[in-house]
Amino acid sequence: MSDFLLEMRNIRKSFSGVKALDGIDLHIRAGECVGLCGENGAGKSTLMKVLSAVYPHGTWEGEIRWQGQPLQAQSIKETEAAGIVIIHQELMLVPELSVTENIFLGNEITLPGGRLNYSAMHQQAQKMMAELNMPDINVALPVHHYGGGQQQLVEIAKALNKNARLLILDEPSSSLTTSEIRVLLDIIKGLKAKGVACVYISHKLDEVAEICDTITVIRDGVHVATQPMASLDVERIIAMMVGREIGDLYPREPHDIGEVVLEASHITCFDPTNPARRKVKDVSFNLRRGEILGIAGLVGAGRTELVSTLFGAYPGKYSCSVKLRGKPVDVSSPIKAIRHGICMVPEDRKHHGIVPQFGVGWNMTLPVLDRYSHAGRIDKGEELQSVMAEIGRLKIKTSSPHLPITGLSGGNQQKVVLAKMLHPKPDILILDEPTRGVDVGAKFEIYKLMFELAKSGISIIMVSSELPEVLGVSDRVLVMGEGELRGEFNNQGLTQEQVLAAALTPLASVAAEHGVTV
Amino acid sequence: MTIAVETPVAGQSSPPRGGGLPGVKQLFSQYKVLALVIAIAVIWAFFAWKTEGGYLTPRNLSNLLRQMSVTGMLACGMVFVIIAGEIDLSVGSLLGLLGGVAAVLDVTYHMPLALNLAIVSGLGLLIGLFNGYWAAWLRVPSFIVGLAGMLAFRGVLLGVTGGMTIAPVSDQLVYLGQGYLPTLIGDLLGVVLFVIAGVLAWRTRIANARYGLPVVPLWRDVARVVLAGVVIFGFVRTLNAYDGIPIPVLMLMVLLGVFTYIATQTVFGRRIYAVGSNMEATRLSGVNVRGVKLAIFGIMGLMCALAGVVNTARLAAGSPSAGSMGELDAIAACFIGGTSMRGGVGTVHGALIGALVMASLDNGMSMLDVDSFWQMIVKGSILLLAVWIDVMSRGTSRA
Repeated sequence: MSDFLLEMRNIRKSFSGVKALDGIDLHIRAGECVGLCGENGAGKSTLMKVLSAVYPHGTWEGEIRWQGQPLQAQSIKETEAAGIVIIHQELMLVPELSVTENIFLGNEITLPGGRLNYSAMHQQAQKMMAELNMPDINVALPVHHYGGGQQQLVEIAKALNKNARLLILDEPSSSLTTSEIRVLLDIIKGLKAKGVACVYISHKLDEVAEICDTITVIRDGVHVATQPMASLDVERIIAMMVGREIGDLYPREPHDIGEVVLEASHITCFDPTNPARRKVKDVSFNLRRGEILGIAGLVGAGRTELVSTLFGAYPGKYSCSVKLRGKPVDVSSPIKAIRHGICMVPEDRKHHGIVPQFGVGWNMTLPVLDRYSHAGRIDKGEELQSVMAEIGRLKIKTSSPHLPITGLSGGNQQKVVLAKMLHPKPDILILDEPTRGVDVGAKFEIYKLMFELAKSGISIIMVSSELPEVLGVSDRVLVMGEGELRGEFNNQGLTQEQVLAAALTPLASVAAEHGVTV
Repeated sequence: MTIAVETPVAGQSSPPRGGGLPGVKQLFSQYKVLALVIAIAVIWAFFAWKTEGGYLTPRNLSNLLRQMSVTGMLACGMVFVIIAGEIDLSVGSLLGLLGGVAAVLDVTYHMPLALNLAIVSGLGLLIGLFNGYWAAWLRVPSFIVGLAGMLAFRGVLLGVTGGMTIAPVSDQLVYLGQGYLPTLIGDLLGVVLFVIAGVLAWRTRIANARYGLPVVPLWRDVARVVLAGVVIFGFVRTLNAYDGIPIPVLMLMVLLGVFTYIATQTVFGRRIYAVGSNMEATRLSGVNVRGVKLAIFGIMGLMCALAGVVNTARLAAGSPSAGSMGELDAIAACFIGGTSMRGGVGTVHGALIGALVMASLDNGMSMLDVDSFWQMIVKGSILLLAVWIDVMSRGTSRA
């Protein structure tokens, strides 16, 4: 009958009325590697959660056939028993347990009486690591002795130990160094030769192009194309991934751009969990008065790390030098950054933005309580007046300034956090994903506010994963990829394809191309 | 007691919510205080019945309040520590140590009371800051810092006293623990408190009107002030009917006022709640989170000093076992009084009502000659039950 290992037909899935997947097809043969491509939020992860039964059968529409038979799994356990194993972006290993113990976690070999049969497990683990070309690994050592790349291989060994016939790799290389990626790709090739099929999800299209046989592109939950890699190139894939017009969601207003206010040079950030790896690699840029600088790039490109360094909030080791109006300044903590007129609205609103047990007003005034206090005593009337004014200015929908902030919608919470970080009257405002989880109406108002602020002379750095937003709002665009600054564009006639192409093209290959042309 | 009624009138703002509008949550929190008051009423009624009225005599109530004052002082400091998301297990031992130092200074060196108090307070503050430095800067979990202090401070105390009771302490010092305010001054104090309650209510009305906030009907404010007056009057009359307001109780009332003021009216107080509610967001708002934590541990040390001196004065001796298990009483008082284990929520008056619950049980069971093992079992059960009810009610309010 069918020669496909897996067929997903016409998969549809909605979240409270919003369509996340709208008729997606995916076919995989044994030993085939399919690259699943799409922008952030296109629906790749949702599709894989449907496949691995994180969303059980019945919560979505469509059909999944596995080895020709319908698959109606209710849980990950069932899909794993069938041979479909997903390896997540964040590794699911227990760092304190040994390599062997991790590989056999939940699947232990036991002696009579429930005692663990370590010798059998060690032996088998060793054999597996040898098959993965990693005979040097001591399987009795705790996993945390090894770096990210080797841990990834332990994760793969764990999957193979479950007799995986189909491996789903979700951004497997995002936390690996170049040489570790090399090893990973070779191993995937080896697995293919043994008949194991793969779904490879990655923003790094050069990797996708190297190991995938077939490419499936999805966009906004819709299936765009499935083509053999042989008939494609990276540019074609990018064009299919983007393919969308920018509406006039962006109330652009002309504003004057003045002199350089901020010079940030040689910013390098090290991964707190894997100090050998650099998350930001020697990035320098500057910012002008009244300018909106967009920082584009795919998830994991190092953008958040870059901007949180400027605000003194990066948790790991870093080095940088920052000058404000030509003078070197110390921005090693948020307190110092705010004192120098740099404020940041963080990406993770729930954990870094709001104080959940406070009302709307108290959240807003947190950084500047001193302004409303005399000898340490808060003048609540004065505080309230200013809060009311902000609620009016930003059109925050709340019935009272005392309403708990958790009772507001995402967009209104974001406006409160914005109001909070505008309160210290910054010269430079950093917005990290300012419209994430925000409805269209509130988005429009946030953009409008950004233009107003720029007009009044405030410089804005906006990190965003939504390319239309970057192009719709920015005066200038920096493009980052894998921690490198891969492009700088004036936003005049700039297209999404150009930005994405820059984000996906490593600097080394740019240099190589130039070498050829010159 | 004054505690329950005075605060809504005075501040009109239990800290986690903000002054002004009575939101659903605020009503809920006021009912919670009410629930605690009812619990105390039930406990008192039960013991009054069992002791045929002996429990509710002015003499016993005066004793009861004096007994709770040491735990209450610790609870005042502890409630800030817990709201900020930390814990301090060393306070019982530290109380013992500082009380012992006060006794040594008094008995061996005949130090004047004022100087003695100053030295012991300074020492308490320093040790508190030391704890805070370990917890906030060196990032040792405060549970461990407290555990270490609990052992070490008790050890120092045993070393300082040589394991012996230090007595007799001077009359001056004893007065701090066993003295009474002259009844006339007690009456005057009651009048002053009543006037303050009235003035604060009036000022809140004016402020609300000025900023366009809804103003509650006049009769409600009048009713509140009258109620506060009745409670103050009852409190003062009862204590004066015995020997007057005990000095430790007076100190505790002052602390209640000061700590409530800090919690509800000051920048520092607001930051304590913010740190406990979401430390990362607070840090990213440019608040010196470590500084706030250091300060609350310093205040905790200061409270240990005060409680230690009063404890020594009450016993008229410095004892090597003074304050053992004191940390548990203080922590239990905070949790019974509605302070959240996860930080960010809690009130000073709640913690003191919690301390009153514990003291009421202790006192009543002692009067009934209940075996001490039963007393421990009952207190443990009450703690478990009180926090369970709190968790349950929180759960339903979210759902």
